[in-house]
Amino acid sequence: MDWLEQELTQALARKDPGPGFDSRVRARLARRPQWLAIAAALLMLVGGSEAWQQYRGHQAKEQVMTAMRIAGGKLNRVQAQISGGAQ
Amino acid sequence: MKMARLLALACGLAATLWAQQFQFNLEHLKDKASDAVDLSLNADTLGIAARFLNGKDPDEAKVKKLIMGIEGIYIKHFEFKSSGAWSAADLDRVRVQLKAPEWSRIVGVKGEDGENIEVWMRTERGKVSGVAILASEPRELTVANLVGNIDIETLAELGGHFGLPKMLKK
Repeated sequence: MDWLEQELTQALARKDPGPGFDSRVRARLARRPQWLAIAAALLMLVGGSEAWQQYRGHQAKEQVMTAMRIAGGKLNRVQAQISGGAQ
Repeated sequence: MKMARLLALACGLAATLWAQQFQFNLEHLKDKASDAVDLSLNADTLGIAARFLNGKDPDEAKVKKLIMGIEGIYIKHFEFKSSGAWSAADLDRVRVQLKAPEWSRIVGVKGEDGENIEVWMRTERGKVSGVAILASEPRELTVANLVGNIDIETLAELGGHFGLPKMLKK
């Protein structure tokens, strides 16, 4: 066996990962989905909040435009009647 | 818990009444109406709306400028299938609250089709602080209170732009 073979045998030899390796791997795998779920929930929260702000803004705008149509419409009729009467 | 809810409700109601310059007392007409619009927009809602109004659209730009001086818009508008659903007393209950020296009737017009529109203005220390519009037709009733410094001419002009006035549609 030359030196290269010896080096390779040593490098590729089976090694004991130590006690608790299995449980450490399992624990890490179990933790990962929790973080993913939290990140997904945060993303949904931010997205949902933005969507709610958009919805509220458009609703407020529509309400203001309706108010302007009603109040402005009545005032316009007053203006038209006054100017019509003056002619 | 129940007490807290009642307190919150009372605070909300008080805030609305404080912002609104007179009470409408028209809730009883809601069931009789075939169509009803009930708007209660405070300064916060107007601020949110202003952010969503398109400054590049000529009408929306005017509305945006107009609502800068408005602190609240409160409107009740009812349409009925037949006449006689509302009574003169309904408007009298509103009118009686518009007292001098704060309130003064600036104009009142009567149309041939039974239409009646009154515009009242509220002034405080020489400045316009509110407008009341009382409009009635045999099958329609509208009461509006715009709180704040309102540019009536611009609002009337906008009312014509929106193309809603029935007189212009006829």
